[in-house]
Amino acid sequence: MDLKRVLLERFGYENFRPGQEEVIRHVLDNRDTIAILPTGMGKSLCYQLPGIIMEGSVLIISPLVSLMEDQAMRMRRNGEKQVIALTSFLPYIERQRIIGELQNYKFIFISPEMLTQESFGRQLKRLPISLVVVDEAHCISQWGFDFRPDYLRIGDFLKQSGNPPLLALTATADEKVLNDIQRYLGMENPIVQRHSLDRPNISYSIRQVNSAFEKTKWIKDRVTQTVGPGIIYASSRKRADELAIELQLEGVAVQSYHAGKEQDDRSIIQEQFLSGELEWICATNAFGMGVHKDDIRQVIHDHLPPTVAAYIQEVGRAGRDGRPAAATLLYMQTDEQTTSFIIQSDLPGEEEIRHYTKMVSEGNPPGEAAELASLTETGKRVIDYYRERYPLEEILLRLDRLSNEKNEELQQMTQLVKGGACIRQSALSYFGELCRRKPEECCSNCGLNDSGWLYEKESKKSAKERVSWDERITILLG
Amino acid sequence: MNLSSILLFVISKMDGQRTLNAGFHLLRGKKSGQTLTDVEYFNVKPFFGILPKLEDSTYAKAIDELMEAGLLIQDDKFVCLTQQGNKKVEELPEFHFRGWDYRGREMVFFSRIALLVQTLSYMSKGESSFTPIQRDRDTQLFVKRLLERQPYTDPGFSKRIGDELKMALLQSGMSDVQKYIFACRLTGRSETAKTWDQLAAELGEGTDVLRLLFIESLHRLLPIVEESDDFPFLTKSAFEIKVHSYLTDSALHTKKLFDRGHSMESIASIRNLKMSTIEDHVIEMAMNDKRFPVTHFVSEDQIRAVISKSAEMGTKRLKLLKKEFDTLSYFELRLILTARKDVE
Repeated sequence: MDLKRVLLERFGYENFRPGQEEVIRHVLDNRDTIAILPTGMGKSLCYQLPGIIMEGSVLIISPLVSLMEDQAMRMRRNGEKQVIALTSFLPYIERQRIIGELQNYKFIFISPEMLTQESFGRQLKRLPISLVVVDEAHCISQWGFDFRPDYLRIGDFLKQSGNPPLLALTATADEKVLNDIQRYLGMENPIVQRHSLDRPNISYSIRQVNSAFEKTKWIKDRVTQTVGPGIIYASSRKRADELAIELQLEGVAVQSYHAGKEQDDRSIIQEQFLSGELEWICATNAFGMGVHKDDIRQVIHDHLPPTVAAYIQEVGRAGRDGRPAAATLLYMQTDEQTTSFIIQSDLPGEEEIRHYTKMVSEGNPPGEAAELASLTETGKRVIDYYRERYPLEEILLRLDRLSNEKNEELQQMTQLVKGGACIRQSALSYFGELCRRKPEECCSNCGLNDSGWLYEKESKKSAKERVSWDERITILLG
Repeated sequence: MNLSSILLFVISKMDGQRTLNAGFHLLRGKKSGQTLTDVEYFNVKPFFGILPKLEDSTYAKAIDELMEAGLLIQDDKFVCLTQQGNKKVEELPEFHFRGWDYRGREMVFFSRIALLVQTLSYMSKGESSFTPIQRDRDTQLFVKRLLERQPYTDPGFSKRIGDELKMALLQSGMSDVQKYIFACRLTGRSETAKTWDQLAAELGEGTDVLRLLFIESLHRLLPIVEESDDFPFLTKSAFEIKVHSYLTDSALHTKKLFDRGHSMESIASIRNLKMSTIEDHVIEMAMNDKRFPVTHFVSEDQIRAVISKSAEMGTKRLKLLKKEFDTLSYFELRLILTARKDVE
């Protein structure tokens, strides 16, 4: 089949991006496929194009309502009208109406919890489905940092609906996560289509320091002397705030971003960063998902991320425009302990689990019980999922194993930082990939000359003039 | 305006008859019998629930400040104002909160306006793609419906909404700083809103102060747009913001059973709730309904006796009144004081 003609006629592109055509061919051959493509590499075309050719509807399962809406909106804007995003946020009546006329839609986006809804399940059974797509498939793996217990239900659903062809999409996946995807989705001999995760335009460097004070000093010097826009990742809200204040005192346009800020302020800060009013963001790992900014030049880590995958994901937000970008990680001896402590306090401990399950089995409302047992939101969801399937002792065993795995992952990250080998090579090998060609600006272990572009700092724009309230409304609305 | 000045005012209203916690529960809008009764007794409805997320440490700090300044003293368990405090209260500016009516829902109103303004700001300039500044799905759906079949790509239309907004802000009576804060919390194609921290730095005030000013400004704006025909889109944006039933959900349930003729005991057993909870509900009902049949529970004579004694002793403290009326229960006393507040 002449896929290129379809591509041109329906999407207006002359050529496929690397990896796309292969994935599309596997899907059209009805093979279960796992596609590992970096963000921004056109994942959605991998199901849109086959969807147009194949009979029946495409069901796309996605973890974030905002991502789903975003995707559906883009498809609609590009002329695909038979698309709908079905989420539990829709008002009941509207949801029922859509469910009643599902056959009118070619592309149906759903969140995983929809799969457990009976009325939806009934309708779905009557629907000819050509393809099921699991987006952000790494969320199924409990070893991953984005684990969504709801995703584990997808497997049960697929079995009930007669195992339609499956396409699992993800941006990063190491071997362990890959195995989980295969196993939990019940994929048979899937084809794994991988596109290199290497980002040749990003240079990696690691700097050993002796104290938090030294970190702060380095960041201050760096940010005032080199180009933005950039993100500084810190381990805690407090540290993110602290760094932002230090930098503000130096006259940098910077704000901190973390889950402790009210939602409106978070949206505002993100918008200011996108529009260029802010040059830097000091953030916890809460910042990043769904932020589409191509010209980020630097990512600085003030702490040790818990896994290589998390590190690569955060660093990967730099240089999406293809121009040079720099990733710097500041490391001191106690960082490993700090991160380990954070990981462990996120995991529910034995006492908490026992306390929680006891209270729930005594008839206490789960929400209250979780609060009393001081379980985190995620912790509660994980345990609730396990409780439906396993006895208490088995749950404890599993969480113990989870804790060990997380420690191991931290070890790998520490090894990457302290090992002294090429950072690019080490990171890629973690994902089972070979580094074929090292760029000139590779990493601090291969040797980096301070690159000129970093210091081509434009003079600061003068601060905006203060406008009165009614002028401001006029500027906004005319 | 700041938390301390509001507290000073509220505590002066409570007249040395309440503990420190009463003010905290009032500002957070706690829906318990005691707080709801206090609201009525002491005429502090405007402050109910104006700070739903107030933290106890913030509250404690504000109290400490007042005590250190010698405006407040705590005797036994109750707090009251010092002479100096009383003088200070006289000097306070007038507050314009309407917490009882809005209970934090004013923020929903503002979210709708913010998204409406952002949407029109982009659409009127021919740009249909932007990141919504409001993530909340309900808000997004609300604005989408609001703009259905409207000429939202027409610059004339967005200007009309802008004029409507300006006029409403002017009529609301809010101060210039409040109008400035309001405008600065709006985002559009060419301007991005300012965070509380940024506004605090610019205006040289604390974020808490600015938030309070903002909440008060919304409480001034809402009644204007609710009552006038001049602001069609703002009026629509205020849809279901004002509390329509002042009863808590649970009290509403009790009321339905009560209206069907069930006794309090029977309601307690049907609903499997403690008698004291049902009593709280009945107090709540009496508070919100001037025609509530109080004489169902106590006689006219009892009512008259309690009211005159309370006036004579100059107190509404139940403990003291209970000593005088041994045959009446605490519930009956509360009911009398609640229902006959306007008799005084």
